[in-house]
Amino acid sequence: MILINIDSLSTTELQYIAQQEGFENWQSLDREELIEELEEAYGEQDDEMLASSLKGKQIRKRFCNSLTDFRGNQQNVNGLPGVEELPEIYAETAIHLLLRDPEWAFAYWSISPATKIQVFGEDDQLGGELFLRISVTDKAKTETKSFDIAIGPHDNQWNINLPTLGKTYSVTLCYKDRKGMEMALAESKELQTYAPYWGDHFDDMAMNPQLFNIHFSSVVTKEGEIVDNAVLQEIAHTLSKGVL
Amino acid sequence: MSKKSVAFILNAHLPYVRHLEYPRFLEEDWLFESISESYLPLLRMFNKLKKEKLSYTFTISLSPTLCCMLTDASLQGRFNAYLELHKELGEKEVLRCQSEQPEFLEMATFYLDSIKQNLIDFNDLYRCNILDGFKSLEASGHLELITTAATHAYLPLYKDYPTAINAQVELGIQSFLTNFGHLPKGFWLPECGYYPGLEETLKSHGISWFQVASQSMLLSPDKVECGDYRPIRCPNGVAAFPRDYQATSLVWSNSSGYPCDRQYREFYRDIGYDLPMDYIKEYIHEPEVRVFTGYKYWAITGNTDQKIPYDRSLAQAKVAAHAANFLYNLKKKGDILSSSMLKDPLYTLGFDAELFGHWWFEGIDWLEQVIRMSANSKEEVTLVTPSSFLVKEGELQTARPAFSSWGQGGYSSVWLDGSNAWTYRHIHKAIERMEELAVRFNDQISLKQRFLNQAAREVLLSMASDWPFILYNKSSTEYAQKRLKDHLRNFNVVYGNMCKNAVNTEWLVKAEKRDIIFPDMDYNIFNPKH
Repeated sequence: MILINIDSLSTTELQYIAQQEGFENWQSLDREELIEELEEAYGEQDDEMLASSLKGKQIRKRFCNSLTDFRGNQQNVNGLPGVEELPEIYAETAIHLLLRDPEWAFAYWSISPATKIQVFGEDDQLGGELFLRISVTDKAKTETKSFDIAIGPHDNQWNINLPTLGKTYSVTLCYKDRKGMEMALAESKELQTYAPYWGDHFDDMAMNPQLFNIHFSSVVTKEGEIVDNAVLQEIAHTLSKGVL
Repeated sequence: MSKKSVAFILNAHLPYVRHLEYPRFLEEDWLFESISESYLPLLRMFNKLKKEKLSYTFTISLSPTLCCMLTDASLQGRFNAYLELHKELGEKEVLRCQSEQPEFLEMATFYLDSIKQNLIDFNDLYRCNILDGFKSLEASGHLELITTAATHAYLPLYKDYPTAINAQVELGIQSFLTNFGHLPKGFWLPECGYYPGLEETLKSHGISWFQVASQSMLLSPDKVECGDYRPIRCPNGVAAFPRDYQATSLVWSNSSGYPCDRQYREFYRDIGYDLPMDYIKEYIHEPEVRVFTGYKYWAITGNTDQKIPYDRSLAQAKVAAHAANFLYNLKKKGDILSSSMLKDPLYTLGFDAELFGHWWFEGIDWLEQVIRMSANSKEEVTLVTPSSFLVKEGELQTARPAFSSWGQGGYSSVWLDGSNAWTYRHIHKAIERMEELAVRFNDQISLKQRFLNQAAREVLLSMASDWPFILYNKSSTEYAQKRLKDHLRNFNVVYGNMCKNAVNTEWLVKAEKRDIIFPDMDYNIFNPKH
């Protein structure tokens, strides 16, 4: 193991590390010796060996590992070597689906350079097309329908409309070559939406003003402004025909 | 006569901001203003009522990031410096108002006295740690203290990462245990963000209840019987307390809530912006960045820039009227509800604690009046905590709350829109990589352990709901973006180094010095097999 900039640590800090590493002579070593010994210890021992050999000796409870008192820090951490800009995307082929609200989801994806070459060719000579396939499964999981959204080679995120409440959705990042052959590159986890009970039973509420009061009096201000929520407002709109 | 109960839950939370590398740092004022204008005055009010032996119970969620800052010796020192500076400004203001603007003298003196009292309370009473004040009120049965997610992450957007959800919950609870010496019963869901299944993680850590947004009952897939007026039990037994949006809006509506009254103090008119630069320079930020100083002399007046001077006695009369109106509304509504539901209603009200005192100057006086009126007049409205309600009313309907939040639109659109959606690609990747590190390098000691612990801190700090909210809100966006990117870039330092079998020791000690949050962090919390 390499210790980067170990010589920038204070002597107290080096002694602390040596003590933690189980050096019996940590108090008698001077600064140079401490650095040397630590580099040697970390250099010689294989990571896994070190971990497994020490595992039995240390009984550590979670949340009991306190920090030591370090020397001053006047510099901004972010100016240090080793801190780099974030990549725009990551070199992997994956797609993720996040539920924004019951009607919209947000998908983001990345395609690894190797996969890109595989599907598009070195100079894009294969000329295939990318698309998202949205799978919609009903509550009983008996039927799955799907629809496709065409995307460009430089797209990496998309807002997806979810047409129906109470369904399970997933999205697959797909590729279609010139001959029309389709290939799935990555699939997201499923996300589930739920149909509200009162969305299907608004008649009960429409016929019963008391029930209406119990459920709606808390979501409408004294001035009659309903809580900002599209699904709820739709139920209210439907009900208003029967109640108000 | 029906009995109505009301559970006030105040969410005291601020993101972790600590920049000792600067003599003064603008965003640290978020903490100092909150302590000075909300937390200390709230404690004073609660203690006054306790001394008078008035019966009341409130619930307060103190976020782990806030607790960490409140117990940080450096920030405590900087808060004292903040108070001293504002005391000096107050003394200067009293002199200036005496000669130039006598109509503002009463308020200048009032603010100066408050600052002096804050100095006494903070140093002499609490010895710089105001958590002791909350602890003492909890011990006497006046407060129920609860916790929230470790860095106040908006949890529904991390649903696919159960390890990260668990880390946020577990660390939030452990941090509470460290600070208060016992486990919390309740858990404040950041931004009221709930997704079906979240209760499983809460239950596994012994949580009995959490709060949810108002619409989560009406949009439930089940037939909820009492709407938002009774808690429900999730199928796993954990109780969910829905907010009463209507009662909350009496206070929180930015168009018609009590704080909008024209006689209340105007928040946005502050001498930090109004007085000449030469006069105010020493009390704002360098280089000549005007900020709020807390010295505000005007009343809201109306939708005009021609404000009238603030009159505290008029405002106090309004406070009493608004407290009475609030209780009247609850009683009136409760009578109707009790007969329809055949059960007594519970109103759950959730607010940001900083609304009271900081944003709504008279808010703490209003809370005091609500407590006094409900206690003295033996009105039918009783203050309860969710935990005390559960003890008395064990039988609750079992149902499932709907996915919801208290943000605009009622779901996740505030924390996932065009301004902030880009962040999740990086945060999710950091979580995946942190899990990978925790599995590959489990149970390390010494340097590697510290390196990995720091990585876990950086991941958790990047998950805070504050950053996407600020980006969405378009306020302080530069700072939020920098913080988010810095935490992620810092995480990548650990990931990159560990993959090369290296530890960047210089980076480590400096990073630890800067982000000193969660001193008891154990990165193994990110190990899915743990």
